[in-house]
Amino acid sequence: MISCLVLERPGTWRTIGVTALLFIAVLPAAPLVWSALVSLASASVFAGNAFQNAIENSILLALCVAVVSLAIGLPFGVLTALYEFPGRSVFFALATLPLLVPSFLWAIGWASLAARLAPFVSTTLSGFPGCLVVMSTQGIPLVLLIAYAATLALSGSQVDAARLAGGERVVVRSVARYVASPTLLAAGLSGVLTLSDPGPGQIFGFPTAASEILISFSARYDFVLAGRQCVMLTALVLALAAPLVFFSIPRLASEVLVRQSRKVRRIQHQRLAGVVVAALGIFVFIGILVPLLGLMLPLVGGTAFFRAWNELSHTAGNTLGYAIGAGTIATFLGLPLALCAGRNDQLRAVCFGVALGLLSLPPAFTALGIVQLAAAAPAWADLFLRSRFTVCMALGLRFFPVVAVLGLRAWGATSATWVLVASLHGVSLGTYLRRVTLPLLLPVGGVGLLLVALLATADISTVLLLHPPGERSLPLAILTVMANAPETLVASLCLVYVTAAIGLLTVVWTIAEGRNV
Amino acid sequence: MSVSQCAFRSVSKLYDKHVVLDEVSFTLPAGEHTAILGLSGCGKSTVLRLLAGLEAPSAGQVLFDGKSVSEPHRVLKPPHLREVAMVFQDLALWPNLSVIDNVLLGLSGKGLIKKEAEKRAREALALCTIESLAERKPGAISGGQQQRVALARALAVQPSFLLLDEPFAGLDLITKTTLLEEIATLASEGKITVVLVTHDPTEATTLCRSALVLENGHVEETGTWEELRSNPRSEMLRVFCSRLG
Repeated sequence: MISCLVLERPGTWRTIGVTALLFIAVLPAAPLVWSALVSLASASVFAGNAFQNAIENSILLALCVAVVSLAIGLPFGVLTALYEFPGRSVFFALATLPLLVPSFLWAIGWASLAARLAPFVSTTLSGFPGCLVVMSTQGIPLVLLIAYAATLALSGSQVDAARLAGGERVVVRSVARYVASPTLLAAGLSGVLTLSDPGPGQIFGFPTAASEILISFSARYDFVLAGRQCVMLTALVLALAAPLVFFSIPRLASEVLVRQSRKVRRIQHQRLAGVVVAALGIFVFIGILVPLLGLMLPLVGGTAFFRAWNELSHTAGNTLGYAIGAGTIATFLGLPLALCAGRNDQLRAVCFGVALGLLSLPPAFTALGIVQLAAAAPAWADLFLRSRFTVCMALGLRFFPVVAVLGLRAWGATSATWVLVASLHGVSLGTYLRRVTLPLLLPVGGVGLLLVALLATADISTVLLLHPPGERSLPLAILTVMANAPETLVASLCLVYVTAAIGLLTVVWTIAEGRNV
Repeated sequence: MSVSQCAFRSVSKLYDKHVVLDEVSFTLPAGEHTAILGLSGCGKSTVLRLLAGLEAPSAGQVLFDGKSVSEPHRVLKPPHLREVAMVFQDLALWPNLSVIDNVLLGLSGKGLIKKEAEKRAREALALCTIESLAERKPGAISGGQQQRVALARALAVQPSFLLLDEPFAGLDLITKTTLLEEIATLASEGKITVVLVTHDPTEATTLCRSALVLENGHVEETGTWEELRSNPRSEMLRVFCSRLG
């Protein structure tokens, strides 16, 4: 009988397990990196002047998004965690919605609204400002969520001690100081993530590195160039993200991966709750409702729900399949990673750092790697490299760090003595896993699966590059029909998509809050 | 202006319809050191939280010098204006702040200028004999030293009330006794009213002259140790007294 003590004991199996699981995540991109390195010898470093300009644009945009996200996300993440206000699940669902809806939809919404208002609005929004608005709308929720999670790593009595010392002013100031370093990293990450997003740049006519890659692949059909640009962009992303991650990971890991058993008790504070509601309301209005209005305006002239239903019925199966498939793969990789890292501080920090690094990689990185692998693979490998499963696998590998981080948090909340007691009573490993570990990780896995499913649905690049012919997802269908189809059809499809996303997010937030995920 | 007396008048507290305190009334005279005794979950910590203003009562009033500071579902006087300091069970030290910054945090609501606040913080550290640890982080010092930091933070504000919520659990006997005697001396010198929540007879009798026994949300008995030991009514107090020998 294997003792359940193995779950708490150090061992080389932990390092091997963590290394293997992280290796699996980057393996599909290996051929791309190799061929890019080989072709670099005979190509210019920046793959052309246009790409060099695009990279400069991308860096400027990333910096500005990071600053805006930090300035808005930090205070409101802290306030949201500390104070009670009505309708917090719905507010949270709405505030985090931009993370889970493809950015090109928000960009279309803004562009469409601006075109209907006045020429100067369109001119003002075109190029960099439009990209900044849309990308910041996506960056702010990320910083807000990290500030929220880091605040909840404090114990209720730590907050009470500050409250006793100087009231709410001191509480907010002290907590903001405490969460400053993880939120700074999150802001950096939100900036880095913009480097991989081609949508807004293309719609607002602001050339970015990611949009250049997409053009190279789908308009110029130059796979080698796209691959080289992608590796360049990845190197840039890693160069920017690595120092951030390296310097702040030990503290960040201890703050974000901890779940307090004595949670911060949210208090009723009319004035501050009012500030939170007003600020989130303004953010939801500007960041979500205004572009949504732009998306939905065509519906005033008539709806196309019948055609939308038709499109939906063709794509719903794939959308759900990709989402659930990605969520399942991410859960099956993420939770074992958390289990392997266990309570080992170094491994936990490594997992967390690499997870953040993987999340910040351009989606095209893995996808183009798989495309290259598929091109050289025999026909029997099509099931793995040219099927709907391939899409699920690529999306699952991209987003499994989300589940891993949730799993690491959950494991950190357990007590090492649980296993000691179980082993004293002769509980086998199987029984312990079944009776204790699984029930503990199940809600975390469930929330992780749903979150990854939503994130995967919003990821256009991977599906665009990997989907088998005729097997589009709903967002991809919107992207591909928007240029030629009537506006009413696009608006109807957007309405369906956004409504479903808000509904699912509300469910996720309700479960996560109830279960202290 | 310092507060001299605190009283609970028919205070009840419910958490999700579960009654923790049921019409509790008592008075804490100025400068008195009182232990609150009772079984786990009987509402001892809730009394401290209500006194500090961290919670509002569900019914009844909390009075400072005869003036209501908490009414049903309303905290009239916020915690930082009550001249109350508290040492929490988990000490509640902020891991990102150094020892001196933790003490300065306790002074942040006092409106002191930086230099004066720092002087007070260093005095409090010296009082607790940990001035040499000022620049260290809580994670880098021992449990006993952490306890002293939490105590220094509480004493630095020169409170009228010092609330101690089982802060000595897990300490060795020698460190615990030394700390208790130091607190007793400091509190007497500063004329501080001390309220100690504990399960430990040694802690209770070393620091406090009187006690209040809570049972099932009610005040079962109250008085000086001599009075209580001569005629213990509750089973809890009988066991407690038998441990004292």
